[in-house]
Amino acid sequence: MLAAISSATLLGVRGHPVTVEVHVANGLPAFNVVGLPDTSCREARDRVRAALESSGLAWPNQRITINLAPTGVPKAGAVLDLAMAVGLLVACGEIEPELVKGLAFLGELGLDGSLRPVAGALPLVDAIEEPGVVVALGNQAEATVVGPEILYCVPDLRSLVRALRGDEPWPVVTSIPEEESLEDDPDLAEVRGQRMARFALEVAAAGAHHLLLIGPPGAGKSMLARRLPGLLPDLTQAVALASSRIRSAAGEPLPNSGLLRRPPWRAPHHGASAAALVGGGSMVMRPGEVSLAHGGVLFLDELGEFAPSVLDTLRQPLEDGTVRVSRAFGSAEFPAQVLLVAAMNPCPCGGSGAPGGCRCPESTRARYARRVSGPLLDRFDLRVDVQRPNPLDLLSGDPGESSEQVAERVISARLRAEERGVVANAELSPAMVEQAAALTEEATQLLKAALYAGTLSARGLHRVRKVALTIGDLSGHQGPLNADLIDTALSLRIDPFHPVGHAVG
Amino acid sequence: MPSDSPLPDEAWLNALSSLPDMGPARLRALLADRQPEQAWKVCLQGKPLPEVEAVVGGRLLALTAAWAKAAGQLSVGELWSQLTNHGVQVIGRGHAEYPACLRDDPDPPLVIFAQGDLQALAPAPRVAIVGTRRCTRYGTEVAYELGKTLTAAGVSVVSGLALGIDAAAHAGALAVKAEGQPPVAVVATGLDVIYPKTNRALWRQIAERGLLVSECPLGTTPAPWRFPARNRIIAGLADAVVVVESHEKGGSLYTVDAAIERQRPVFAIPGPIRSPASRGTNQLLADGAIPLCQVSDLLEQLPQGGLFIDEPPPPPVRALLAPQQEQVLEAMGWEPVSLNALADCCGLSPVDLSAALSALVRSGWVTVERGFYERMSNTT
Repeated sequence: MLAAISSATLLGVRGHPVTVEVHVANGLPAFNVVGLPDTSCREARDRVRAALESSGLAWPNQRITINLAPTGVPKAGAVLDLAMAVGLLVACGEIEPELVKGLAFLGELGLDGSLRPVAGALPLVDAIEEPGVVVALGNQAEATVVGPEILYCVPDLRSLVRALRGDEPWPVVTSIPEEESLEDDPDLAEVRGQRMARFALEVAAAGAHHLLLIGPPGAGKSMLARRLPGLLPDLTQAVALASSRIRSAAGEPLPNSGLLRRPPWRAPHHGASAAALVGGGSMVMRPGEVSLAHGGVLFLDELGEFAPSVLDTLRQPLEDGTVRVSRAFGSAEFPAQVLLVAAMNPCPCGGSGAPGGCRCPESTRARYARRVSGPLLDRFDLRVDVQRPNPLDLLSGDPGESSEQVAERVISARLRAEERGVVANAELSPAMVEQAAALTEEATQLLKAALYAGTLSARGLHRVRKVALTIGDLSGHQGPLNADLIDTALSLRIDPFHPVGHAVG
Repeated sequence: MPSDSPLPDEAWLNALSSLPDMGPARLRALLADRQPEQAWKVCLQGKPLPEVEAVVGGRLLALTAAWAKAAGQLSVGELWSQLTNHGVQVIGRGHAEYPACLRDDPDPPLVIFAQGDLQALAPAPRVAIVGTRRCTRYGTEVAYELGKTLTAAGVSVVSGLALGIDAAAHAGALAVKAEGQPPVAVVATGLDVIYPKTNRALWRQIAERGLLVSECPLGTTPAPWRFPARNRIIAGLADAVVVVESHEKGGSLYTVDAAIERQRPVFAIPGPIRSPASRGTNQLLADGAIPLCQVSDLLEQLPQGGLFIDEPPPPPVRALLAPQQEQVLEAMGWEPVSLNALADCCGLSPVDLSAALSALVRSGWVTVERGFYERMSNTT
């Protein structure tokens, strides 16, 4: 009258193995689930009963106790439905215990006995220790990515029971058609003019440098930013797995293959809360936008409209590449290596931002500038101005280079970064910068002047050297960084909110 | 009221102007046919006056009551000693130091609070340099140069010590180390209320080397109506008014109206037709203001005459510019331009463009502000 079935539950973006223990005893009919189930997990009672009856199986009118071990781990969602149903059938003697040995069960039950796919199949299957896993048909792609020894995908409870008893063969797993990405990245050739901004995009893609686009409404900031993922190389296997796992756990769609191969693009609205951006939740830890963009681009449009406190929560993930969310009952760690791209207006009036060309008094500009904290602003290695394009360029200008052409240069630059032992130059540590980004005498003087003038911080100095290194990599430059490269890196780092000086001389 | 020696008229004037909701028109009504001391007593008694009623209308009773209440709580002697402690001089209309040019003004200040060198109010050529707070680099430079040249030529620069053009004109005047005429700043707050705060250093320097003037008593905080009122004093003190940059509906146009009313010549600096900061000045030119292209245009118009200016310094040598720098300079024009826009029109690669621009900035041909590059005006 006792059965133990393997399954798993989600903790953040990781799976955690769970044993579903089912005890059926004589006494007043009851159905109790213990071991920290959340509401939807507790509601399994009604789904399991209806599914069993719809599938032509008997419901034991006895005292049923289900324990979810380990009991200290909170269980969320309906993923344990199938394991509970199978456990009941084993405990009632409908299925021999030997038949379910070495198998784990993941899936949500419908009232008609059908098996529904669950969010997070990828990390869940990954957490299973048993050699065999049974999942819903809809989870086949994600489960295949992990590749357990035996994978059974079944449409409903009835065919599962038949297959277990040997009455029918297991449903055949068909191969999945390959599909490259969820949506095609738009091409950079569609952008007319904006030569410097395009160059900044290229540098950002090559060195994984965070980018801030500043300009009036309608200048094409979002259009430019949307074309950045198309310049990035395909995800490596490790990043693709991690990124797919996060998407799976958050219940976001994945390509048919179950594995995300192109860098993701996330553009949360500026009303986003801190929990939405970096992740969180009370019982269930959900990854935030910064983790969903892992390996790809996180785009914050209208940066100045985000709540300042929300923006500042991004500082630590940007530095460490991971987010650790801690709550009273536990904590979760999410990977968060993103290329941050942000866009904002130079001031609230939406003018060009040129000196004398905007209607805002200096105090309004200062207030607007304070919405983005200095430390966050300092993390943008590239800060470029995007003005409305010349109308002539829009009508008759030649299209610029295509994403494909630029992406080739990005790949060659990344290969040079790999020789230094990093994926992209932005990851270089200070010691590595000293070694890889040596400076000519002239370049040293330039940086010294900028430091003394107070236009460059110590952190900024490092970042300027890394950006200069990336620019050198893109143009095939060899040897120590010269003054031209440093000049270019410095001019791609404007201080958009510097108050206008009123006294000359 | 305990007083050993009788207080001067200025003490009573100061006390009167310290009353709540007191402005130049109300003060004039109070002083219409009585001495300041009498006017104070009238206020203290709360007697409604027909002259005041002509100015304030239906609010007369409330206002007289407020004045009577405030006057009862103020000590004229204490207010007077505060002024002395602060180093502020008070000049009434009858005072010997009262500037001659304001004596037959249509709307003269009845009391002037001054801090600094009172010599600046003596008869001497004075020119007002005014303009927008939201100016371009072009405007700041012109204002600065104008302030400097006029001061060196023996003309006192009058301005309002606001941000932008005003501050640049004062900074230029103060840049003349010796023998320059002291600058005059007419402010719209009390002389102990520095506004705008960013001009603190300039404010102190003018108090030391020039003259700060206000018609507001100590402690007056900025109020929107005081700025146009202040502008009439600027126009009254100056022999000519120069508007360097002004938006279409800028505050400097109040100064221009006041100058026209007082028959002072108005000069305007021509600006690019596409620059919003020059729209007001270009309109002034169309309306008949005198274009100011060189300082001699202005000096000839001053009544005193006999002024001379030094020969302008020779322009910097344009030799030794690399061809790419020439190309950038040609492409950038005379307005602030962003790097992105420049890259689209000059045809250089991003690295070449940045290098050429940075070199131009270092050698002083170009300035950069918030990512916008602008050609310096003194390089041709």
